[in-house]
Amino acid sequence: MTAPLLAADSIDCRRGGREVLRAAYVDAVPGAVTALVGRSGAGKTTLFEILVGRRHPDAGQVRWDGAPVPRPSLAGLARRGLFYHPDRSWLAAGLTAADHFALAVPGGRDAWEPVAESLGVTAWLERRVGVLSGGELRLTELALGVALRPRVALLDEPFRGLEPLHRERVAGALRALAAGNAAVLYADHDVVSVLRTADRLFSLEAGQTRLVSEFRERPVHEWYHGWPR
Amino acid sequence: MRLTVSVWLRSPLFRSYLRGFFLLWILVKGTNAFLAGVVGLPPLGFRPGTEVIACAIELLALGAFIQRDAEDILLANLGLPLWTALAPLLPVHFALSLLLSVFA
Repeated sequence: MTAPLLAADSIDCRRGGREVLRAAYVDAVPGAVTALVGRSGAGKTTLFEILVGRRHPDAGQVRWDGAPVPRPSLAGLARRGLFYHPDRSWLAAGLTAADHFALAVPGGRDAWEPVAESLGVTAWLERRVGVLSGGELRLTELALGVALRPRVALLDEPFRGLEPLHRERVAGALRALAAGNAAVLYADHDVVSVLRTADRLFSLEAGQTRLVSEFRERPVHEWYHGWPR
Repeated sequence: MRLTVSVWLRSPLFRSYLRGFFLLWILVKGTNAFLAGVVGLPPLGFRPGTEVIACAIELLALGAFIQRDAEDILLANLGLPLWTALAPLLPVHFALSLLLSVFA
């Protein structure tokens, strides 16, 4: 396994007087899909926000390619090759999906249309994003991320709200990104998607992360104790 | 940088921000003209200090709307920080105010 491209190390974070993260560690390795699982409120989103500089930790550091990033910002990391998909919609409601692709991928329609086709978003390319369903919107956001050809893809619940066919497509896209040597790190609750997609698994419990080795051979309640036996 | 300045300035997203900024400029200019009239100053005169404050208010308001809709994440994913993306609107404010003061 190669060295991590993006890592959050020894992260402490308190929110509203509550200790959310305690010496937490997570990383994204080129050529692999890494999943971060944990119960709702475990701190997955907080950890991702710290990774992209949208939240400041009380202690710890973010590292890119082994070197500390003193003041991480999403735009700065994006220029290095990061794509971040948060757990809420982030496209401009007044623009069409095609407008977004044209903005993100210069070089004409030929440069991004194959990606849009592979993820099945061509049916609504000319519709305004504001009128898309939740699933269509999420799939468009992910297709845009794939079209950016990121070195690191950081995705907060990418499968949420997707129908089975679209879940298959997203899983395929994540695998394809990793096959192209991108480092994929995503947070999810969905065991099925983790089993089908992930190569590595971090579990987040009581503010602390743990790399679960050979997770496919272990029952899910051993991944994190919140899961029913 | 993933997004070049020329692509950004010609994009429909920048045009939509320009429209929003123009509406905010009208709103702030109207308020400013009313207050100037109350204290006996030329309502549409160009006063640099006031223009700087008015421009800051307009940019902050537009930035707040963009952040509310999480579109700053879209910009950042394209390698463009929010305030860099909005910087081209700065001369727009001063050009509009100056033109208005000339023709008033």
